[in-house]
Amino acid sequence: MAISHIAKLFCAGVAMTFAAAVAVAEPVVGKPAPTFEAKTADGTTLNLESLRGRTVVLEWTNHECPYVVKHYEKSGNIPKLQKEAAEQGVVWLQVISSAPGKQGHVDGATALKLNEERGAAPSGVILDADGSVGKLYAAQTSPHLFIINPQGILEYKGGIDSIKSAKEDDIPKATNYVREALNALAAGKKVPHASTAPYGCSIKYAG
Amino acid sequence: MLLLSIEVLPNKQNPHRALANNHDMTNRLFNPAGENCASLRFSLFAALSCLLFSGFRRWLFFFFRSRLAACNLAGLSLCILGLPALQSYAADYVATEQVEARLVAGVDAVSPGAEVYLGVHQKIIAHWHTYWLNPGDSGSPTTIAWHLPEGAAASDILWPIPGRSSMGPITNYSYENDVTLLTRIKVPDNVVVGGEFPIKAVVDWLVCEEECIPQQVELDLVLPVVEPGEDLGQGSELVEAALARLPVESPWPVKVFRVSDETLELWLEFPNADPATIRDLWFYPNEWGRLKQSSPQTYEVFPDGIKLQLPAGEFIPAVGESLDGVLVLTEQGSSGDMQRGFELVVPVQAAALPGASLSFALALLLALAGGVILNLMPCVFPVLSLKALSLVRHAEHSATHIRNHGLVYAFGVVASFAVLAFILIALKAGGAQIGWGFQFQSPLFVLIAAYLMFAVGLSLSGVFYIGGSLAGAGSGLTQRSGYAGSFFTGVLATVVATPCTAPFMAAALGYALVQPAPKLLAVFLSLGLGLALPFLLLSYWPGLQRWLPRPGIWMERLKQVLAFPMYGAAAWLVWVLVQQAGADAAAIALAGLVLIGFAAWLYSVTRQISTRASLFGSLGAAAAVVIALAGGSALRAGSADVPQIAENWRPYEEAELQQLLANGEPVFLNFTASWCISCLVNEKVALKNESVIREFEEAGVHYLKGDWTNRDPQITTFLSRFGRSGVPLYLYYPPNKDKPVLLPQILTPDIVIGALRANSTAISSSTDFTSGRN
Repeated sequence: MAISHIAKLFCAGVAMTFAAAVAVAEPVVGKPAPTFEAKTADGTTLNLESLRGRTVVLEWTNHECPYVVKHYEKSGNIPKLQKEAAEQGVVWLQVISSAPGKQGHVDGATALKLNEERGAAPSGVILDADGSVGKLYAAQTSPHLFIINPQGILEYKGGIDSIKSAKEDDIPKATNYVREALNALAAGKKVPHASTAPYGCSIKYAG
Repeated sequence: MLLLSIEVLPNKQNPHRALANNHDMTNRLFNPAGENCASLRFSLFAALSCLLFSGFRRWLFFFFRSRLAACNLAGLSLCILGLPALQSYAADYVATEQVEARLVAGVDAVSPGAEVYLGVHQKIIAHWHTYWLNPGDSGSPTTIAWHLPEGAAASDILWPIPGRSSMGPITNYSYENDVTLLTRIKVPDNVVVGGEFPIKAVVDWLVCEEECIPQQVELDLVLPVVEPGEDLGQGSELVEAALARLPVESPWPVKVFRVSDETLELWLEFPNADPATIRDLWFYPNEWGRLKQSSPQTYEVFPDGIKLQLPAGEFIPAVGESLDGVLVLTEQGSSGDMQRGFELVVPVQAAALPGASLSFALALLLALAGGVILNLMPCVFPVLSLKALSLVRHAEHSATHIRNHGLVYAFGVVASFAVLAFILIALKAGGAQIGWGFQFQSPLFVLIAAYLMFAVGLSLSGVFYIGGSLAGAGSGLTQRSGYAGSFFTGVLATVVATPCTAPFMAAALGYALVQPAPKLLAVFLSLGLGLALPFLLLSYWPGLQRWLPRPGIWMERLKQVLAFPMYGAAAWLVWVLVQQAGADAAAIALAGLVLIGFAAWLYSVTRQISTRASLFGSLGAAAAVVIALAGGSALRAGSADVPQIAENWRPYEEAELQQLLANGEPVFLNFTASWCISCLVNEKVALKNESVIREFEEAGVHYLKGDWTNRDPQITTFLSRFGRSGVPLYLYYPPNKDKPVLLPQILTPDIVIGALRANSTAISSSTDFTSGRN
């Protein structure tokens, strides 16, 4: 009957408004960090979930980017952080998401060699040539840092420090957000700046 | 023009810095002005050092990039040999491989206490870019460190309108090809007249294509100091061009609503936008994190404004906090696209705009409620109460029969509304601008609506019967036995309801009219359902009939009373008309109403006499109505009684223009349209600027404005004479010249005044010009 038809139309219209919620595309501080499984520079596969129980730092990097050079060769800033982190039992993972043929793309052996030459000592290097891990975390710059607590919750995401320049003399003047966050986590306190603006070169994803 | 005096200051910087600025890419500084490199000593030295330090490859390199390599290698060798580094030159122009940087000034000289514009111009090679104030997802904005004499003050960088570039999931706000970053400098009062004002700028930037290179250059400029009050000169045209690319204050209100935690809505209240001419709309926030920079911003054009959806970022502003940034509109102009930037500092508000972002479900509900209430409205109730009620009061029919009649009636109503919806969809598809707001901007429409309300009121008062005649015309249809009769009663109800509005209907209809076809149809169907609902219910539950009052004289009285809201509506519409089209419109409308009244009386009084009389009556009534409508065509919107500020322009008429040109008078022509946003901004920013108005007055310039809103064919012809098919077009005919000067599409007061002065032979150069450039 006409009324039932009309009623159905009406109900359909109402239903249309309850559209499916769009899935959140970015990791959110305070929520579980996205998990992944990826190849590492020494040929093994690493699953992020296997690191549950330890604090994990993810550092997106590109050895040819001037901003990364500022923190590595020119100042030794990040290698020093990596050592401090290792002493605290924190797992520090470099992630290289440059697509093949783009700046910063290296194979496993070269990545390990570069770290040796620069005096860097991360716990591991993840080779993310297809950019899947980078896009999972919405990583945009090199360097771009994420800190995950032992329970798998994202505690920090953003830049390495507070002065967005390519000059190494700005490093001592800046607040190092990563050190600040790691110290806060170790002391069981809240991270003071949990989300900051990342800065650096853009990550050279494919396409 | 600006090479007044360039001093070579000794370079105090570490000469290695220039070379060691980047890891892999060599960052070369060289001065192609060649002043130093061209010197014999230098080239000899360069050649020697190249031979000394280079192999065959480097020598080839030197050959093909001689000046470049020469300076670099020479510099290197100079350093190694420990000689003072002459290679870092202080100049107003320094180039790297990617960027040519130049320090420019908006003046040729300074005077004590003056405010001048300085700029750093970057000419960037193809596909590379430098960054805006907020670089976006990555990158770094250019910074300028000024070294000025004591007491001088430099403002923050004045950023021209940025562009955006995306690389995969990363979006940056950047400048390509070239940009001039301006700064306002206040010259101290204690500079010595006749002396010099040295300026040094240390500029840092990040230039990227895919890879990024941070670079730094030092630029120097020395300007002479002249007496206060003296003309400071024109300076570089790069500064003038940059001033035209700066964002301006928005001439129209802008509001920002926090719709949800993920979305902000920006609402620009520009009433006449034409979606066809808008190419792009984007909001660039000043701070990182306010918006999700890489997500698209979709815009929608409404009759009363433009809405832009902004995806929220990491640090979405809370209600009450302000959202700062630049709204950039790209519009089709007459000679290429025009870009306009509006500097915005807008507090974020809580609720969404009603109607414009009504949810679909809410609109349906409002339409339903509106339809139900429509039953009570003066247009509908009297007619329906007689006609439709009789349907359900027939005791001889069975309950099922009555129910079916009710359903068919409802179907008739809903089908008619569907037809209405389809008509509107077809009109929209045909390109007509449909929308309540838009329609009510047309004075003719308002006039007709007023006549209609008045006529319905007259009918309700008993002067004549439209219900009767319509029912008469349709009585053949409505009195058909069976379901056909009920169906056509439903159609009648819709026809009678159309001139009426009810509470809630306006919001629902306003929503529906700007939605795509399916949603529009759904809202109209809901409205129809609401209209049919009361009688549908009555047919299902005849028991409700017991609650209905018995027909009696009260119905007639009610009908007469309901005439007065209709008269009220007519009065209100006349008032709206006066607002739109001026006091003369009141005379036209009131006279028209008198004619309508006469027509109604004539029609009804001749009904009963004889066939010939009724024919005469009908014709006479029709004639009166036609005269009333003809009066409407004399109305023109925009001739409203705005308090007459002495406008300094007259409407463009070809005859008048020719007359003025024949007399050798200077004429300024402005061709604009009400939907051309950039044209209106030009008027506000430049043509209504006080100094421009004064300049027009002093020079005796006749200012003619051509309004192309309605595509006036005379103006179209004129535009095509200059190869344009649209607006804006700005022309200046200097005195005693018949060849006009074309002005650019984006105007600043300086551009207009400059055009006037540059082309005016009437104004002698000895006139004292006070520097009105700031």
